[in-house]
Amino acid sequence: MFNYVARRLLLAVPMLLGAMSIVFFAMRVLPGDPCVAMMGDQATTEALADCTRNLGLHRPLAVQYADYLWRSVRLDFGNSLRQGYPVSEYIGRMFPHTFILVMASAVVAVLVGVPIGIVSALKRRNPLIDYPLRIFALLGLSMPVFWLGILLLIVFSLRLDLFPLIGGGDLDAVLTMVRSGEVFSYPGDFFAAVGDVLHHLALPALALGFTLAATVSRLSRSAMLEVISQDFIRTARAKGQAERAVVYKHALRNMLVPLLTIIGIFVAIALTGTVLTETVFTRPGLGKMLVDAISARDYPLAQGAITVFTMTIILVNLIVDMLYAVVDPRITFR
Amino acid sequence: MIDPAITTLRSFRITERGTPMPSHTRLRRSLMLVTALAALAIAALVTLGGPPAAEAQRKKIVNIAAKEPDTLDPHSSTLGQSQAISRFMFRGLTRFAIKDGKVTTAEVEPDLAESWTLSPEGTIWTFKLRKGVQFHKGFGELTAEDVKFSFERQIKKAPGTRYGVNLDVIKSIEVVDPYTVQIALTAYDPIFLLRMVGYQQGYILSKKAVEKQGDQFKWNPVGTGPFYFERHAPREKIVLKAFDKFYAGRPQIDEVHWFDVPEDATKLIGLEKGTFDLLYPEAVTADFADQVKKMGAVIDRRGPGQQERFYINMTKPPFDDIRVRKAFMHAIDRKAIKETMYPGDLAKVATSCVPPGYFGHVPMQFPEHNPELAKKLLAEAGYPNGITIKNYFISKSFFYPKVLTLAQEQLKQAGINVELQVVEHATYHENIRKNLNPFVLYGRTRITDADPWLSLFFDGKEIPDPATGNKGTNFAHYKGIDDLLHAGRVERDVKKRAAIYAEAQKRMERDLVCLPISDVPGQWARNPKRVSTPFAADYGEFSLHYSYNYPELLKVLN
Repeated sequence: MFNYVARRLLLAVPMLLGAMSIVFFAMRVLPGDPCVAMMGDQATTEALADCTRNLGLHRPLAVQYADYLWRSVRLDFGNSLRQGYPVSEYIGRMFPHTFILVMASAVVAVLVGVPIGIVSALKRRNPLIDYPLRIFALLGLSMPVFWLGILLLIVFSLRLDLFPLIGGGDLDAVLTMVRSGEVFSYPGDFFAAVGDVLHHLALPALALGFTLAATVSRLSRSAMLEVISQDFIRTARAKGQAERAVVYKHALRNMLVPLLTIIGIFVAIALTGTVLTETVFTRPGLGKMLVDAISARDYPLAQGAITVFTMTIILVNLIVDMLYAVVDPRITFR
Repeated sequence: MIDPAITTLRSFRITERGTPMPSHTRLRRSLMLVTALAALAIAALVTLGGPPAAEAQRKKIVNIAAKEPDTLDPHSSTLGQSQAISRFMFRGLTRFAIKDGKVTTAEVEPDLAESWTLSPEGTIWTFKLRKGVQFHKGFGELTAEDVKFSFERQIKKAPGTRYGVNLDVIKSIEVVDPYTVQIALTAYDPIFLLRMVGYQQGYILSKKAVEKQGDQFKWNPVGTGPFYFERHAPREKIVLKAFDKFYAGRPQIDEVHWFDVPEDATKLIGLEKGTFDLLYPEAVTADFADQVKKMGAVIDRRGPGQQERFYINMTKPPFDDIRVRKAFMHAIDRKAIKETMYPGDLAKVATSCVPPGYFGHVPMQFPEHNPELAKKLLAEAGYPNGITIKNYFISKSFFYPKVLTLAQEQLKQAGINVELQVVEHATYHENIRKNLNPFVLYGRTRITDADPWLSLFFDGKEIPDPATGNKGTNFAHYKGIDDLLHAGRVERDVKKRAAIYAEAQKRMERDLVCLPISDVPGQWARNPKRVSTPFAADYGEFSLHYSYNYPELLKVLN
C-alpha cells in the first residue's frame, strides 16, 4: 500500500511538471500582453516598456521559466501581476470556498443522480418511470448552471427571501476558529459561522449539483446496466432471491467501483463548473479567479490556480484508486 | 481475481444465517435517515443568517455592486471600477466646478488648493494649499511635500504608476513653504488646471504613507478624501468608512461596502431585493434600463462618458483611397447602430470626433447613410465587386462585438465584406497596435479638453508601428493636424484655442479619418428610496471618475 502511494505520488511529479509547463508556455503563446491588458489605452510605448521591465517580463523566456519552476519548488508562486497579492496567499483564501462548493455539489449530485441512475436502469422497461427520469437527466444536461443559478436566485433569494444573494459567508472566521481552537471556547459563534457559510452555500451547491446530477445519473445508469447484466445477478435471481435483495446486496455493491470512478471524474467536471457558479452567485473562489487571471494575462495567478487544480485532480484520483481496494477486496495494490 | 459467483454465494450464506436486520432494510432506513437529515439541514439553513439589511439600518451603509478594483493606488489603475472607488478616498488640488446646481467638466474650482496664480510668462504655477487638511489614519496634515511627492512619483515613473505621461509638462516642483508649492512647466500648458483635478494623475497621496508601505500601498491607501479604506476581502468586498476629519465635513454615510459583483443580472436582483443601493453596471442595455425603471430605481447619467468610434487607417490599401473611406462612412448607419445598442436616451448619436463636454468641441458633418452611393464610390475606386476584409479582429468584450456585427451587416450591403475573428480583449489591444485591422473600433474617456484627446488619437507621434515598437493609439495613422496641435498647446487666448480645435475638426471632416458612432454617458443605477444625490439624475453631473464626483454628498435616506 505504502509503496503504491509513494509510486503514485512520484508519478504525480512529472504530471504536475507537465501541466505547469504547458500552462506557462500556453499563457505566453496566447496573443495579448499583461501590460497592454492592464493599461488599456494608456499603453504608450514607453509605459509598456516600463511595465514589462517592472514585471520582469523582459527577461528571456527560458530564464522566466527556470525562475518560475525554482520558485514553485519552494511553493512561491510569485505575486499577482494585477492586484499584487502573493499568489499562494490569494489561492489559500480562495481554495476553501471552491473546495466546499465542489464537495457540497458532489453530495447533491450523488444524492440526486445515483438513485435516479439506478432506478432508471432497473425500470428501463417501464416507460412511465424510465422516461421521466431520462427527461430529468436530459434537462440537467441541457440546463446551463448560470441559467439555473439565476432562476434559483430569483425564486429563493429575491421572491421568497430565504437565501442570501451574494458572497460565500464568513469562511475565514470558521477556518480561523478551527485553527486557533476557539471552536471549543465559543461553540455558539462557531456554529453560527458554519451556519452562515452553509446558508450561502445552499443555492450554489444545488445549482451546480443539479446540473452535474444529470451526468452522474447517466453514468450510474450505465454502470448499473452493466452490473445487472452479469452472470452472478442471474444466478442470484435464479436461486430465487427477491429482486430488492438482488439490487441492494449484489448489484449495488458491485456498482461501487464504477461509481467511485464517476466521483473521480466528477471532481474534474465540478471544478470547471465552479467558474460559472461562482460568477452567478458572486462567491469568492478559484474558478472565477482563474478565468479573470487568464483574461487579464495575470501569469502567476493563472499558473498558480492551474497548478492547484491539477494537484487536486491528481490527489482525488489517487484517493479514488485507493478506495477501490476498500470497496472491493478483490483489488490489491502492487 | 475472485469469480463474482463466489462473492454472491458468500453473501447468500450470510443472509441465510439470518442477520438481525436484512441489509436492504438497513439501507432503506439509512436512506430515510439521510432524507430526514437533509430536510432538517434545509430548514436550518433557511432560518440561519439574519438579513444583512439590519446592520445597514443601524449604521448608514451604502452597498455598491461593482467589479473589484485591481488596485486602490489612484495613480496606478486604468480600470473604471478602480478609478471610481479612488474618488471616495482621494482628492486633488482642483475639482470640477459646481455651477447652477450642476457639475461641469469645463471649469475647475479650488479643492485641496485654496488659490493659485500663474506667472506672467505662463510657466510657473503657485498653489496655496488649504490649511488643516488631514490625511486618513493619522498620517498628519497635508503639506506641499505631499503634493511634490505625488506628482514626482508619477513623473519618475514609479513602478505601477500609469499617468506620468499626463505630467510630462512639469519641469520642476518646489516647496516654498508647507502650504505653498510652485510648479514650473517646460512650456505654457493651457490645460494645466484640468490636470490638477482630483482624477488619475491629479490625486494627492500621503508621502509618509507611501514611503512606509511601499508595494503594500495599493491595498493600504491613504488620501484626504471623505472616506478611508478599512479592509479588503478579496473577491468579496472592500469596506470604506466615513472620515471624521474630512476637511469639508464628515459625510452623512457611515460606511461604503463595495461588493465584487461581476454579473449585471445579479446586480439587478440585488437592487430589487435591497442588498445593493447603487449599481455600477458593466453595460446599460435597454433591458437593464427597463428593469431598473420597473423596480422604481433610477439611472444617474453623467456626461461626457465614452465615445465609441471608428478610426480608418488612411495609409493602408484599400482605405488609403479617400473614396473608399467615404464609401465606408456612407455604408454605416450610425443612428441605427446607436438605437440598437442604446435605444432612446441611453446614449446620443455622436456629433464630432471630439465629444461634447470637451473644450474645443464643435459639431462635424459626416457622410450620410447611403449604401448605393457607397457602392458607386467603391466602383469608382476600382472595386466594382466590393471589398473583402479577411481576419478582422474584434474583442469579445464590452460593446465591441455588438457594434461590429451591426456594422458588418451594414457594410455588407454596400459591398464591404468583413470576416470577423473574435478574440480576447487583451489580444485585441495587441493586434490593433500591430495595425492588423484596417479600421479600428475604440472607445474611452480622457481629460476633457481637445488637446489631450486629439494628441492621443490623432498626433503623428502616436502612430502605432510594430517595426519601431510604437504602441500609440493614432489608429487612423493621421498626420494632418500636427501643426494645429502644436499651436493649440502654446495659445493662451481661450477663443483662439477654440478656433484652432474647430479647424482641426474641420480637417478631420475633410480627410475622413474618424467616424464617431455613440456618445455613451457614464451610468449607475440607484435606489432613490435609499440613497439621494443633490444632482439631477439626467446629466446633472459631468464626470470623469466613472462614479459620482462628490460621493460625500450622497445621503442614506432611511
